[in-house]
Amino acid sequence: MLEVIQLSKKYGSTLAVDKVSFRVPDGRVGILLGPNGAGKSTVIKSIAGLLRFEGSIRIQGLSSRDMEAKRSFAYVPEIPSMYEALTVREHMEFIKRAYGLNVGDQETERLLERFELLDKQDKLGNELSKGMMQKVSICCALLVSPKVILLDEPMVGLDPAAIKELKQVVRELRDNGSTVLISTHMLEMVKELWDVTFVMDKGNILGTYTREEVGDEDLEELFFQVTGSGKEEDRVE
Amino acid sequence: MGAIFYLYRRIFVNRVKMALKKPITYVYLLFVLLYAVMIPFSLQVMLEEYGMDSPSWMAAVLTAFAFWVIPGNLIAYAKRKGLIYRKSDVHFLFSSPVTPKKILLYAHLKNLGIQTVLNLAVAVLGALLFHVGWLQVTVYFVFSILVENLLEGGIMLLLYGAEWKSPKVRQMVVKGAYALVAMFVAVGIYFYITQGLSLASVLNFLNSDLVQMVPVAGWYIAVLHLIFTGPTAVNLAGTAAYFIFLAAVLWAAFRMRCTGAYFEDAMKFADDYEEVLVSRRQGRTDKRLGKRTRYGTARVTYKGTGAKALFYRQLLEYRKSRFFIFDLNTGAALIAGVLIAYLYLAEGGMGELTPFMIPGVSAYVIFIFTTLSGKWAKEIASPYTYLIPDTAFRKLWYATAIQHIQALINGLLLTLPGAVVMGMSPLTAALCVVFYVVLSANKLYALAVAEALTGNILGRVGRQLFQLFIQGIVIGFAFLGAFVGFLAGGLNLAYFLMIVFLTLATVLFMLAAALNFYKLETA
Repeated sequence: MLEVIQLSKKYGSTLAVDKVSFRVPDGRVGILLGPNGAGKSTVIKSIAGLLRFEGSIRIQGLSSRDMEAKRSFAYVPEIPSMYEALTVREHMEFIKRAYGLNVGDQETERLLERFELLDKQDKLGNELSKGMMQKVSICCALLVSPKVILLDEPMVGLDPAAIKELKQVVRELRDNGSTVLISTHMLEMVKELWDVTFVMDKGNILGTYTREEVGDEDLEELFFQVTGSGKEEDRVE
Repeated sequence: MGAIFYLYRRIFVNRVKMALKKPITYVYLLFVLLYAVMIPFSLQVMLEEYGMDSPSWMAAVLTAFAFWVIPGNLIAYAKRKGLIYRKSDVHFLFSSPVTPKKILLYAHLKNLGIQTVLNLAVAVLGALLFHVGWLQVTVYFVFSILVENLLEGGIMLLLYGAEWKSPKVRQMVVKGAYALVAMFVAVGIYFYITQGLSLASVLNFLNSDLVQMVPVAGWYIAVLHLIFTGPTAVNLAGTAAYFIFLAAVLWAAFRMRCTGAYFEDAMKFADDYEEVLVSRRQGRTDKRLGKRTRYGTARVTYKGTGAKALFYRQLLEYRKSRFFIFDLNTGAALIAGVLIAYLYLAEGGMGELTPFMIPGVSAYVIFIFTTLSGKWAKEIASPYTYLIPDTAFRKLWYATAIQHIQALINGLLLTLPGAVVMGMSPLTAALCVVFYVVLSANKLYALAVAEALTGNILGRVGRQLFQLFIQGIVIGFAFLGAFVGFLAGGLNLAYFLMIVFLTLATVLFMLAAALNFYKLETA
């Protein structure tokens, strides 16, 4: 379970996030929506432990700074950054050691194969395309078998096959009881995945919607209704 | 530390393997070896001449170094600077269950390789130049790698990793570091007033007991004096204080709470660092770490159409820049020019080779130091360049035109000081400047030729090799032409032949380099 409680973050005198609270239970997929500058990145980076903040963030009931919490948490950033001098396989090996994982080579290879990286496993980080880097980033996150996983614009740069595979992975994680939080602008990509959606703007959560509440209502329509952006005529194709 | 050591080890091994595959590495190694031989020999002459070849001067030199490094490090760590993190560290390391203290130590470990090499060099130079005993330099080496690293690591953990609520504590540490500098300066002023300014007074100041009583940095200096000049009451007391301080720092660093609050500053540093690296690879030298490049407002009037737009857009960018078209290369050219003039005045020239001092230094500076990839490299990486309805040759010319103007300014700065003190004729001086400009253009287009002909087939390694190869041949022939011209008709004919040859080669290079501008992917 992921709990964000009264999260506030200031950059100098600018309040980027103002007392934001939300919760994604086990076995649920949460979507963080919001226009550019809404504060999503700040929330994501705070959960990943990269920013100082006020309030608290709990992963499986533990403070997000706690090493036990970190052990059950995985993060796929929007822009993957590889170690230039490490191969794909060495990235995976590093993750195994950092998380103290007892994962055999077979599991590593299964993941690499799933994302069509098996033939790229000896390529160095600086030899990979952006899409491949994103796949490595996802594989490293999945290797952890996380209880809570944070995906920041995970579909960007992926080919259709990888997007399909990632959607399947998200479903599997949910079915296995993991908590998934996805921040994205690509609403089409997540429309069949989401269980709960948090709409953010100007550093605040404007609304929280569960699939049970809104039924078949279109996520895009919901977003525009809540944020008040995007006139109807602009959206008619 | 398993994950950290794995990361450190694999990155080190893979980097060495990558470097060994690059031909440029061997060229750099050759220069490092050359300098490694040249510097000790030239230093030896100087040290013997001034009577500085003794262990007490070794201690004095390292003391002067400590004045500069220790307060600097304290300030950097207190301001959460001085540790290099990359975006990959932010991605994989910061969110992982590796403790924030270990992540700090990992960044500290990154410097260990270079530190070992530098300390080894200091130890060897100490034995060879300052006649310090091999046992003493061995003790110094072990001390600097093991003990000093432990202390620096501990201080780094305490200052960088500390999570003080009030920013005032950090400011106090910074002020404390400045206070250390002030104490050294005060001791220096005291020696200047009482003993005047001479080599002996400088030595007395650097080896004085007062310096060794300054907290922290002075205690380190006391250890150095104990190793190099033998025990005294003061350096023994300073050494004892040093080791008590070390124990206290390690204990405090071990006990300190560190949850990773520094990640935010480290992440910002990683972003800045990566930005600077990218701009350096593109040949830009104006970006500074931690300083956002500021652009002013400027306007240009576009005259003409087609590829000329590239020139005016670059001009607009330069006008918005703080230093216009001037950069580190401009400074290097000026320093080289002043050095030529100084060497001529101090040494009375270089005999028969005197007329070739300026072109020789020009060739050296351009071939080794000058970065000429600059804005044209950005032009050929931009798809918009290829959409401009104009010829490839004009695109190449206008994309590189400002760099020729830069070369002209740099050529003037490098030539004029020497030309004036040597009493060179205006024609010869002008030929020297033209030589600089043509040689710069030659290097620029040699890079472009390598880009056009090898493209993505051979990669960066192949491009570097090819560029070095063709430019080496051209410079060799140019100097051969100069030699023949000098024998046949004197200095001006030598310059003239050199320039004619280089110009012909440069025009040929230009024609080949224009291939870059036909399509985005050339080979």
